[in-house]
Amino acid sequence: MPNLKEVRNRITSVGSTMQITSAMKMVSAAKLKRAQDAITQMRPYANKLTSILQNLSSSLDTSENKYARATEGNHVLLIVISSNRGLAGGFNANVIKKTWGLIKNEYNNSPNVSVLCIGKKADDAFKRTEHRIHGTDLPHQLNDLLDKLNFDNVAPIAEKIMQAFVTKQFHKVYLVYNQFKNAAVQVPVVEPFLPVDASKAATQGSPADYIFEPNKEYIVNELIPKSLKVQFYKALLDSVAAEHGARMTAMHKATDNAKDMLRTLKISYNKARQAAITNEILEIVGGAEALNN
Amino acid sequence: MQVEIITPDKKLFEGEAKSLTVPGSEGSLGILNNHAPMIASLKQGKVKVSTASETKNFEIKGGVIEVLKNKVVVLAE
Repeated sequence: MPNLKEVRNRITSVGSTMQITSAMKMVSAAKLKRAQDAITQMRPYANKLTSILQNLSSSLDTSENKYARATEGNHVLLIVISSNRGLAGGFNANVIKKTWGLIKNEYNNSPNVSVLCIGKKADDAFKRTEHRIHGTDLPHQLNDLLDKLNFDNVAPIAEKIMQAFVTKQFHKVYLVYNQFKNAAVQVPVVEPFLPVDASKAATQGSPADYIFEPNKEYIVNELIPKSLKVQFYKALLDSVAAEHGARMTAMHKATDNAKDMLRTLKISYNKARQAAITNEILEIVGGAEALNN
Repeated sequence: MQVEIITPDKKLFEGEAKSLTVPGSEGSLGILNNHAPMIASLKQGKVKVSTASETKNFEIKGGVIEVLKNKVVVLAE
């Protein structure tokens, strides 16, 4: 039979853990709401940009654009988006596993694969490997980016990555991140970033006879980098929303588990207390009995 | 005409306007009601929207504008 005091201590500690996990769940729920709002805010911009770009490239060959041109070489850059904080279930582990799988299966551990980490968790996993990005003018990690995420901060980074592609430091660039499906489901995905796939742009002809100012080529060349920046920003927003979703689910489960534990502990506490009382009565009765004889 | 000014972070303006002035990459462009369909790229500068009651100014770093059937969309940065 467990000792009364021991059980009481465990009940207090499980109770306070439960308070923490349920508070973290509330915080994540609020942050998830904000992250989802940011995605919704960006959607009209992204949609309009894509539709204009499709409109233009259906009548114009974009495959010779400097961002669309496939170059010879096998230097690959993987941009891995994780989070700065843990306690989010499998969120970080999944994206790191996905990256390792890609390095092993697609590239046979080739040292030509570089990894640029956004978020401390992925950085911790890759910083002591030969894959950590080096020998370029790109930063080694971008952990601060996640703390103040807005388009003005993201755009210069995207520009730097695009510049590294144009100067042929890398021949292919992929984004590895958790895609946000809903609050409970995150899917780790690998998305090609550069070179731009020009073939997907082919759609039906333009609905109106537009005037182009100054001309089509100029506008397309302006728009392609813009849409790349938007794609990069969208991946980051998606990952942040997925992070909060994952943390919310993980904390919800932790709270439920704590509740279960508390219930069984209460039962064993009551049993121990009842046993102690029964024991005491037995002793008193036994003592009285002894006095009577 | 219906005018929308959107950035990746938020919607800056949405509503009816009488006229719109944007910094086109080859000079300032003025847009009034019933403008022909147009797509133009924009450079850094000021977007001026005149509604029935007031005039609003927005600073942009660049972008693109689409005009189609009295609906104007400014994608700004």
